[in-house]
Parts: sequence; C-alpha cells; structure tokens
Amino acid sequence: MSYEPTIVGFLCNWCSYSGADLAGTSRIQYPPNIRIIRVMCSARVDPTFVLKALRDGADGVLVCGCHPGDCHYSEGNYKTMRRFPLLKKLLADYGIEDERVRLEWVSASEGQRFADIVSDMTEKLRALGPSPVKADLAHDAVER
Amino acid sequence: MDGEMKIGVYVCNCGTNIAKVVDCDAVAEAAAQLPGVAVARSYKYMCSNPGQEMIIQDIRDLDLDRVVVAACSPRMHEPTFRKAIQQAGLNPYLLEMANIREQCSWVHSDPVMATQKATALTRAAVYRVARHQPLEQRSVDLCPDTLVIGGGIAGMSAALDLADAGYKVYLVEREDHLGGNVARVDLLAPYLDSARDLLTERITRVMEHQNIDVLLGAEVESLEGFVGNFTATVRGQNGSPFRRSVEVGNVIVATGYKEFDASRITYYGYGKLPNVITSFEFEKMLRQGRVQTKEGRLPRYVAIIHCVGSRNPEYHTYCSRVCCMTALKYAHEVKAAVPGCYVSDVYIDMHAFGKGHEDFYRRSAEVKTLFLMYAKNDHPVIRKAGPNDGCEMLIEVNECLSGETIEIPADLVILMVGMEPREDSEQVAHLVNISRDKDGWFIESHPKLDPVATTTDGIYIAGACQFPKDIPDSVAQARAAAARILARIARGKLEIDAVFAEVDEDRCSGCRVCNELCPYSAIEFDEEKRRSHVISALCKACGACVAACPSGAITARHFTDDQIFAEIEGVLA
Repeated sequence: MSYEPTIVGFLCNWCSYSGADLAGTSRIQYPPNIRIIRVMCSARVDPTFVLKALRDGADGVLVCGCHPGDCHYSEGNYKTMRRFPLLKKLLADYGIEDERVRLEWVSASEGQRFADIVSDMTEKLRALGPSPVKADLAHDAVER
Repeated sequence: MDGEMKIGVYVCNCGTNIAKVVDCDAVAEAAAQLPGVAVARSYKYMCSNPGQEMIIQDIRDLDLDRVVVAACSPRMHEPTFRKAIQQAGLNPYLLEMANIREQCSWVHSDPVMATQKATALTRAAVYRVARHQPLEQRSVDLCPDTLVIGGGIAGMSAALDLADAGYKVYLVEREDHLGGNVARVDLLAPYLDSARDLLTERITRVMEHQNIDVLLGAEVESLEGFVGNFTATVRGQNGSPFRRSVEVGNVIVATGYKEFDASRITYYGYGKLPNVITSFEFEKMLRQGRVQTKEGRLPRYVAIIHCVGSRNPEYHTYCSRVCCMTALKYAHEVKAAVPGCYVSDVYIDMHAFGKGHEDFYRRSAEVKTLFLMYAKNDHPVIRKAGPNDGCEMLIEVNECLSGETIEIPADLVILMVGMEPREDSEQVAHLVNISRDKDGWFIESHPKLDPVATTTDGIYIAGACQFPKDIPDSVAQARAAAARILARIARGKLEIDAVFAEVDEDRCSGCRVCNELCPYSAIEFDEEKRRSHVISALCKACGACVAACPSGAITARHFTDDQIFAEIEGVLA
C-alpha cells in the first residue's frame, strides 16, 4: 500500500475553522489526510501541541489563524507569528524537515484557500515520506 | 477514571449528507468499543426533536455523564446539543462534537477514507469529553442601548424599531444628512412611488424621536469591549468637531454600498463620450426634472445598458440585484419625461425575481421599450455617430434572440452600474471585528439560518453592506436585527461562555510574561503576593497567555492542555 501521510491541523475558531467549514458548505474537495482540532486562537497553540502531534505519529502539522490584522482577539496571530520561527528552529535541530510543520493564514471566506493548502501539504508530505520521528521512536523502543 | 465514566456517542446521518459518504453505523460501532463509552448510536437526524429526545432519554435511562455528537460543525449545533443535555440535567460543557459533515463527508468522496477519518474525529471527541469539567456559565448585565452605524434606509428602520420599544439608540451617519443611497433616487421600482416620500417619513420620525440620538457628520472611531458592554468613541468632523464616548450593548452595522466606478470600463466610453452617463447621474437628472443631453437637448433615443461591472469576471462576478428593475423604471420615467422618445434596453438576462417585478417587466414591454439581449462575454460597442446619422451615438449589439447584429441609435446612454462594497469596508470590518467575503461584503453568521448576526457576538449587519439588496430586503434585515437585539434586552442578563483562563498561584513564578501579552488587560499582578491573576470578567479565553506561560501555571478552561492532548491522541490513535 502506498504511504498516506496524516496531518494534524490546529485551526482558530473564528477565521480558519470557519474557512474549513466553508470549504464544506461549498463542497470543495480536498484529501482526507487532515484531522482538525479547534482552538480559540492560533496563539493558544502551545509548541508542545505540535511536538505531541509529531511524537504521536503525525507526519505533518498545520497551524492556521486569521490573517494579520484580522485576529478576533486583536493580535493573537502576531504572537503566533513571532513564536513560530522559534519552534521551527527547534524542529530543525531535531532533524524534522521544514515542510512538515506549516503556519498559514486562512480567513472565514477562504474555503478554497484552505482546501488548496491541505492539498498542497498532503502532496508535499507524500513526496517526503513518513515522519522520521516515527522511525526514531520505533528504534528507541527496540533499544529499550 | 474511564471505568466509572458513561459516555453516550451519537452519530448523525444528516439525512444522506453524512451517510452517503461516511458509514455512520461503522463509526458508531467503533466508538462503542472505546473506553468509557456506554452507548453509541447512529441516527438519521440528531438535531431533530426525536434525535435530541433520544439523547435526553439515554442520559436518564443509562445514567450517562458525558455526550459526544458526531454531526455537523459545532459552530452550527453546539448550542442545540448543549441545551439538550442540560435539559436532561447534565452540565452543558460535558458535550463534545465531532465535525464529520463540513470537515469530512462534504469534502471527501472516498467512503473508506472518509469513514476512517470520521472514526478518528469521533474517537478524539470521546477522549476529549472524558476530560471535560462541568463549568458554570457566567451572566453579565446588558446595556440596553444600541449603536447603529449608517443612517440609510436600513439603519433608520432598525433605529426606529429599537427606539419605539423604548430603548436608546445612537445613530451615527457620516454625511450631514440621513437617507443614504436612497436619497439619491427619484422613483422606486416596481410601483413608481417616490423615494423622497418614503424617506421623509422615516427621517422625520428619526429626527423627532426622543430615544434616538442622531449624530450627523460623524464616524465611529473605535469600539472596545464585548457583547452587552461596548464602548464606542464617536468623532464628529464637519462644522463642530466633537468626540463622544457612548456605552452600548449591541451594534448594528448598516453602512451600505457604493456604485461601481464606470470609468474602470473603457469600452463604453464613459468619461469620453459626454452623453454616456451612469444610472446615478441619470437619477440626479430625474430628481431635477431635466432629462436632456449634455448639450441641453431633449433626447430622441435613450439606450440603457445592463450589468455594467456586474456578472463579469474582470470586475464583479455577482449580480447586483436592483439594476434590472431600476432599468425598467427608467423606461417608464423617460417616456413620462420625454413623450415619443425611443427607449432601448440592452440586457444579458432580465432578473425579475421580486414581488411585483414580473408584472412590472410586462408593463415595461407594453410601453414600447425595445429589448435587446447580449451575451455575457460579448458586450455592446458604442461609437460616436456621423453628421448624417441623426443621433449622437450608435450602439452595435450582437443580439442573441434574433442572432443578428443590430445597430441602434442613442442620444443618451445610461450605464446600469452595479453595487460594490464601500472603500472603507475593510476598516469598518476591523473596527467592529467582523469578516468580509472575497468581494468585500460583510459575512453573516450563517447564510441561511442566521443572515443578520455575525461571528462576533453583539454585532449585527443590515442592508446592502452584507450584499446588494433592494429596499424591502434591506428593511427586512434591519428590522430583524432590531428584533434580535430586543429579544436580548428582554432577557436583561446576558449568559456568557464559561470559558476563561485561570492562574494557579502555587505554580506562578511571578515573571509577568502574561501581563503584557493579554490583549484585554485581563491579567493583574498582585504586588504583595508577587503572583499574576486573571480577572475572569475581562478574559475572552483566547489562550495566548496559556501557551506563553513558562511555568505552565495558566489553564484555559474547556481548552486545557490535557483536553487538547487527548484530542491529539484521539485523531492519531
């Protein structure tokens, strides 16, 4: 069987989750590889959520928030924007490829954009293959 | 802990909306195997009365203590199911929904993959709900005053209903007069009644109403706070500058539209040919009682061109909904002003969907209007006529019904310009914290079931700022917004979400990272204890502080780390 990546998506309630819902009401098709978890704001996405998802077997993690300037909580997405590079730096140190973890802005009216992002990410992860974390954990388990 | 738990799982088929892609019985069967699940059922419509009754009955009979509903988006029916479990005596927060419609069956077509995903989402909801805590809802006092932004037909109609019910309204209008775009119109389709008469009645009542504070030549500069208790700063700029702060519980945005700028289209010669004018310029002529060419002559031939800037991928793809009937109105008004004048109506489709519109269309044909149909991607071409043509301009139309190229004379050409969002719609959206669609119109909470509210509680939209609308539809939406607010005021108190952040003082190191982070200044530092704490009434539960706290001392109620970790485990198990 060919490899199918699993993506965990953390979507802010106000813009991106609504955008994903709009993709649904508009019947815009995208790959079923993503599993969405709703948070109130992208700023709620603790870096440990991303690490936990990767450790538990996700091949990719997508974080989506309102476009800069559109945050329901005024400036939550700016905090996310500033935090994200630190997380990416850490992930790079762990040897996790850049494409595996993505931050994107999706508004409530961008159902198509959301579908496009998921399609693109799924394709890139298919090309990239399974997450190295999975293999490392399996290796660790054998060593123990 | 799991052993004592009794979770009920309900998988909705949503008729065939979910069931045609997702095997709902299989999702329920898989859920039944999960720890803590006492019962799992699949049913046609969970949100229906029998569906809700099934949950309530199970809670009573089986002593369920938590419920998962796998159905549509929680943004749609979470309040419905919270109410249902509350009826059976459960705390409303002991519910979790799995979105297997908008985020599964409607976007995936492979039944195997979709069923797998629905199973994972349902499992995540079960894992999560097992970690839910009962939460007490908070209630706050609601300020009964309302701010209405925009003094057009929609804003005035909403203001009058609220004021007539006995509540204070602040009506803010940027111009120095009320009436909005309707004040620029002469007669109204389809009954040819006077726009001025209609407005005069409204404006007089608004200006004289003791409960309406009309702020003309003014703009809302800022809006702070949340539903029930907003503070708006209104700034007057014309004549006597002022700045005023008003307290309101709700806001209605009725900022209207602007007309499409015809000079963006070059092929109709607008701005170059002096007798090519827009519909609003023609309204002005009608209001002044002078239908004439730039040279001051009575026109013998008037041509009306539809869909200027509308239904065109280069400009706006949508239909502006009022222009077809307005064009027919012009046929009547031209004939009345200049008897014997020939009127040609050059259209793509005639949209006569409203009450009385089809009859109006028929009557317009009876006053001898020449109707010519052009194709969407084949617009008519206007050129200046020669000295021997006996008219100002000639219009070439590839007429669809006859299949022939027809040339018609014109002394005056009226371009039916569509509606578009105002230039500052983005700033207004930011001001009141609502979203806009791809064209720039404000987005309603639900396109069919909640077309008046927005995703920001306490902010309502009315009239053409949401999408092109005629007067009856604008007034209907405005009065619906007023009714929604009145229903809220009638309850007096406002139930607000029990979700907010809390600081565990024992774990707080007093670093104060969270203090500056909070956009609502809801975190205070206790100098004596050297600890931070959250003022729960001000907290809006975004969770930014929770993710930032280096000591892990802050908890987001209902979005705890524990709950989200459980969800991650659930989707990946």
